[in-house]
Amino acid sequence: MKADRLRALNVPQQVKVELSECGDPAFVKRGPENVKRVETVGETWRVDDEWWRQPIVRRYVEVVLEGGGRVILFQDQLSGEWFAQMPT
Amino acid sequence: MARQGSSSLPLPFPLALLSPDTGRRLWQVSPVARRAGVKPGMTVSQAIGLCPTLKLCEPDPVHYDEQFSRLVATLATVSPVVEPAELGRAYIGTDGLEGLFGAPEKIVEVIQLRIADCGLRIGNGSAESAIANPQSEIRVGWGRGKFVSWVAASRAKPGQAIIVFPGEEGRFLASQSLAVLPLDPDTHRRLLQLGIRTLGALAALPEEAVVSQLGRAGRRMWRLAAGRIAEPVVGRVVPEPIVAALTFYSPVGERELLARTLDTLLDRALKNPRRIGWRVHVVCVRAELEHGASWRATATLKDPTADRERLAAPLRSQLEQSPPAGAVERLAVEFTAFAPGTAELQLFARDANAAARAGRRHALKSAVREIELRIKRPMLYHVIEVQPWSRLPERRYALIDYEP
Repeated sequence: MKADRLRALNVPQQVKVELSECGDPAFVKRGPENVKRVETVGETWRVDDEWWRQPIVRRYVEVVLEGGGRVILFQDQLSGEWFAQMPT
Repeated sequence: MARQGSSSLPLPFPLALLSPDTGRRLWQVSPVARRAGVKPGMTVSQAIGLCPTLKLCEPDPVHYDEQFSRLVATLATVSPVVEPAELGRAYIGTDGLEGLFGAPEKIVEVIQLRIADCGLRIGNGSAESAIANPQSEIRVGWGRGKFVSWVAASRAKPGQAIIVFPGEEGRFLASQSLAVLPLDPDTHRRLLQLGIRTLGALAALPEEAVVSQLGRAGRRMWRLAAGRIAEPVVGRVVPEPIVAALTFYSPVGERELLARTLDTLLDRALKNPRRIGWRVHVVCVRAELEHGASWRATATLKDPTADRERLAAPLRSQLEQSPPAGAVERLAVEFTAFAPGTAELQLFARDANAAARAGRRHALKSAVREIELRIKRPMLYHVIEVQPWSRLPERRYALIDYEP
């Protein structure tokens, strides 16, 4: 039996997102040669949480990338940075 | 009655054991974690919130089953009447043991010594140290009937015993909390709202009044609280001896051939349907020799097993050290004593839960071996729910290392 600390699952990964004219994600860039076009934009929602200690304000966008991969993107509304997560 | 806990190492850091059923709640917590406010039954997130340095341990139910089987097998050496109630709780019938061991104090001492002898204790001291070993979680209660003995054991300090002598049941039970009764939460709350907090307060009410309020269950509760019920210990059904035998066409003297025959007979005996769900504690091999002589070897396994190699090893060494004095006409293997539980996958095991756990563990072990072969690292984790309700996906689940 081995004791261990928790390791978080589905930690957000920072990505660069290029927006379309209407403000929706158009391209998602994970690295210099890993750029994927957004084919479909699905649901969007906003999360405001933990305002009483370290505020978390995120705008989530569910997208389908070229090739069919479904990804959840969110923009940290305080820093402006974009992150990608696996859908749950 | 003996009760054996599963987490009792004096650990310097806060440690908690996850529930084997869900993995979402805590099952056992170490004293350091308890001091930080962590309690069994809490969710992982509640516990981490209270104690950020808490370390989590994967439970090992198969190991607990094996330990409990050892405990039950050990108790069976004191009395033939042993009733395993649940993991960690077993009843032992002591009626008639006075002639062998003496007064209840002596019987309890024998039980504690046998438990210590079989290694179910913490520490490296002598067997006697287990009787007053404060680090041991084994508690023993002695009383008339299962309920009184269970309450006594649950009130004993770890590693110690409480004896409730006949006639003292009422006085002993009167001061005990209602929590010792098998009550559903609603009934428990209702009794507390009525100001009834102890078994004595419940027993002081007229029996019929309790029955009219709580029905048939109320009658049982009242009688338990008043010490009027003394449920006897019900022993288990142990399989009849299993025999596998082979008669040779012509008498055999070569030891190698006898050893191979021994393996075949052990395999055949292990496959007997009556053996399923039981591990072999005592195995003997009998040989009928030419001219009417005979030979016999017996092995009592300290750790009962259903593994052929482990059963064969002591018999083979006896075959080498003191072989039959003549050629063997007939060889028979006999399993004469058994211990419950098995670590193998048993589709028709008597304890279906234990068998299912053993099956999962077996499958996981195979998976780990394959992963190690393929990627050279045993990367296996267990997903646990941390804050499944969180709106932030990365807070919902986490990984901990898994070692089956």
